[in-house]
Amino acid sequence: MNNSRGQDQETPVVAGFEVPRSPDASYNNVYTASEDDGRDPPVVPQHLQHTVLSYPTNRGPAAPLPDPQHVVLNHLYIENREAPRSVVALGFSHRFRAKYVNVVLYKPVQRRGSSST
Amino acid sequence: MIPRFPVSKPPPGITGDSMEIDGDPFHQPETVPKILEADVELSRHRISVFLSTHTAYELLPESGKVVALDVALPVKQAFHILYEQGISVAPLWDHDVGRFVGILSPLDFILILRELGNHGSDLTEEELETHAISAWKEGKLQLTRKFDGNGSLHPRRLIDAGPHDSLKDVALKLLQNKVATVPIITHDGSVPQLLHLASLTGVLKCICRHFKHSPASLPILQQPICSIPLGTWVPKIGESNGRPFAMLRPNASLSDALSLLVQAEVSAVPIVDDNDSLLDIYSRSDITALAKDRAYAQIHLNELSIHQALQLTQEASATYGFFNGQRCHMCLRSDPLHKVMDRLAIPGVRRLVIVEAGSKRVEGIISLTDLFKFLLG
Repeated sequence: MNNSRGQDQETPVVAGFEVPRSPDASYNNVYTASEDDGRDPPVVPQHLQHTVLSYPTNRGPAAPLPDPQHVVLNHLYIENREAPRSVVALGFSHRFRAKYVNVVLYKPVQRRGSSST
Repeated sequence: MIPRFPVSKPPPGITGDSMEIDGDPFHQPETVPKILEADVELSRHRISVFLSTHTAYELLPESGKVVALDVALPVKQAFHILYEQGISVAPLWDHDVGRFVGILSPLDFILILRELGNHGSDLTEEELETHAISAWKEGKLQLTRKFDGNGSLHPRRLIDAGPHDSLKDVALKLLQNKVATVPIITHDGSVPQLLHLASLTGVLKCICRHFKHSPASLPILQQPICSIPLGTWVPKIGESNGRPFAMLRPNASLSDALSLLVQAEVSAVPIVDDNDSLLDIYSRSDITALAKDRAYAQIHLNELSIHQALQLTQEASATYGFFNGQRCHMCLRSDPLHKVMDRLAIPGVRRLVIVEAGSKRVEGIISLTDLFKFLLG
């Protein structure tokens, strides 16, 4: 009840049961900027490059796509459009019963500090 | 409803067009086989059974691609994306409510273009860069009431179907709401998932595939289409369904064509020469070709002729290498129904122009909607 909330409220302090201060060592760590940020992020697994989403659309909207490989299913992809980007394309392939659905959603890109979701 | 059919000897007193040579509006060189009411009923029944026992899941391809647009996208960006992807229609996703809320279709672009050209309107070309689809849709309802006073033409809420709905329900939804596509959305997971965009073409393809090997089970398939009360015909040739038949010359202005496409509730207008011979066809989905090089910014609708607009469409196909195939799909009045159905089942073909053999004079049009209205009774 009230005891589990912060100590700021008017809880009576019992001598000998005060909450100890947090040790200083937990607050004065230096940001570990140097080693971790210097390294590149881990490489994307190569098999994820075989997405079907970038299959050329020039064969007309009715032309069926090849089946996506099972390893790329349920991964979210973002399209590599050249800058300036005001629109971003997100896509993913998933399975519905025995068929594959490749969905692409075009979203506007928020700029200037507003958060984009 | 008992349809009337042309018979070889009409009773005297039937008014014929005064331009007819022999004053007999139903005269044809060969006698038209009379269609049996029983055949029609049997075929309709069998098709109805088939459609009721198969689901929308069958419409999905093995591996299909479907494109959706966020409803916050500016209209201009949306225009370009549709053009770039070679599609004419896309469902709209609203992130705030977490579901699909509508469809962006060629009719929207036609209305936007008309608003741009309308000097009294609030919509300018600069605003298109920031005018979101959602804002457009909200303002659209007032616009359409201005045009035809019939707000129900454009549904405000999304018409969708589920993958387990029967094909019959999907077809009826398409017909009754007068829409060309219905998104198939599943609500199984936590988020609605878009699976496919269903249209009458897909349903027809299922029907043709199913009955291909047993043509005898649908007796009306062998009947020539001139004997079936189907489609819109030029008056004085065959049975007219009462609607005026719209055609245009290539030098007509684009804004005339767009007016027809909006107000006459047709989805395509045949373009003919002075002899009424078919040259090309301008349909609502051709409007996305105007996005090429921002052509819509430089044109005034009254100054652009249909001929020029069609050239833009051809250039658009060349740029993106779209497999365009034939633009106008035609058939003869003597063609049997199954031939017409097979042609209409080709993806991208929504209507066939009935022409006279040799001269290509336009005699009528049969659209997917006409066909399904007839088949579903």
